Amino acid sequence: MSLVELKNVVKRYGENTVLNGVSLSVEKGEIIAIIGRSGSGKSTMLRCVNGLEPIQGGTVAFDGTVVNDPATDLRKLRQHVGIVFQSFNLFPHLSVEKNITLAPKVVKGVPPAEARTLAEAVLRKVGLAEKIDAYPDQLSGGQQQRVAIARSLAMQPQLMLFDEITSALDPELVGEVLKVLEEVAREGMTMMLVTHEIGFARKVANRVVFMHEGKIWEEGPAAETLGRPHTPELETFLSAVLH
Amino acid sequence: MIRELSYIDVLYLIAATRWTLALTAIAFLGGGIVGLAIALLRVSSLAPLRWLGAIYVHAVQGTPLLAWLFVFFFGLSIFGFTVSPWLAAAAAYSIYAGAFLGEIWRGCLQAIPRTQWEAGASLGLGFTQQLRYIIVPQALRLAIPPTVGFLVQLIKNTSLAAVIGFIELTREGQLTTATTFRPFTVYLIVAAIYFALCFPLTQWSRRLERRLHVAR
Repeated sequence: MSLVELKNVVKRYGENTVLNGVSLSVEKGEIIAIIGRSGSGKSTMLRCVNGLEPIQGGTVAFDGTVVNDPATDLRKLRQHVGIVFQSFNLFPHLSVEKNITLAPKVVKGVPPAEARTLAEAVLRKVGLAEKIDAYPDQLSGGQQQRVAIARSLAMQPQLMLFDEITSALDPELVGEVLKVLEEVAREGMTMMLVTHEIGFARKVANRVVFMHEGKIWEEGPAAETLGRPHTPELETFLSAVLH
Repeated sequence: MIRELSYIDVLYLIAATRWTLALTAIAFLGGGIVGLAIALLRVSSLAPLRWLGAIYVHAVQGTPLLAWLFVFFFGLSIFGFTVSPWLAAAAAYSIYAGAFLGEIWRGCLQAIPRTQWEAGASLGLGFTQQLRYIIVPQALRLAIPPTVGFLVQLIKNTSLAAVIGFIELTREGQLTTATTFRPFTVYLIVAAIYFALCFPLTQWSRRLERRLHVAR
């Protein structure tokens, strides 16, 4: 059974159809890069996976649980599906430690001392062990995003969603965040990432999904799909972003 | 009979101030409880609850406080209920202050970006957990200046309770004026007492706001 299974997903905002029958399965351990123009529906698709976006048709399933079933306990589901946002969304009133330990403590009931150790461990993973007592506004954008990744990792999710996590960063800070992503990927995490970093997608992803007009236009193994696009839309897109 | 204005009158005015303070405390406490409920209704994810909150706020903000005082004190007695002035004042002021505090706090809650709720939800926190650990602590800082601002208004608005028999600061001033015929001096003293109550509050609010900023 696939870890993530999207079947004919339809998402509308009023008259505007953002996802128009999207089907995709993601196996455990796979790394999927989702590319496409802005407005092609890639972020929306990602947000459907952890139930942040209600859908109007089709089904989204995670590990056998139907996400869009009203009876599904989304809180439970989200403990297993981490998401990192473009704009970091750290909690500005909490220290780095508290940002990371809030959910483990409140949602999972991890005792405070253990939570601190957990925070230290995930911060080491993203290379920010010395920032444990800092506040978000004392960190650079790249550091904030790494803390956001650490915060997500602390919940020990089975799947991680990354929503254009380098798009809001200054160019010189992109590298440090991608390095952390690679590290997470190496450890075998199942990942779905919406990205504009084509080079990174080619290097790290197993599979690339190209979205266009609310549909999956083209998908396949990363190197092959990016190297020899079958559709003129992907070709145009790649030549636009690559030069 | 007209007599001279003496220090005794000033003491009477200061003594009457305790009713002003007691009314303010009751109004703020009752209004705070009602306001909290209204603010939560207004940010609820269920539309009917939001409407309920909105209807309440519009109804109360669109009617004078004086009318509420009359309704509770005189209005209910028509139906055979004897309502003590304290109960009438507590009810009327709680309803009134609740609407305004509810609106102030709703605004503060909604000033926190949607993405903060989303980040909390994505980590598996439920609605009340998001509210308690993420939204309220941030909204609190925003809420202090307008809340204290309203409290200052409330102190001054307790003078309306005179219509149901409270001899608080303004009413006492009126009575003193009637016996001494020195309205200018008397009301100047009344104003000074109000100022002495309100000014420290606004100063305290500014200090608190600064301190919360440093501590984030």
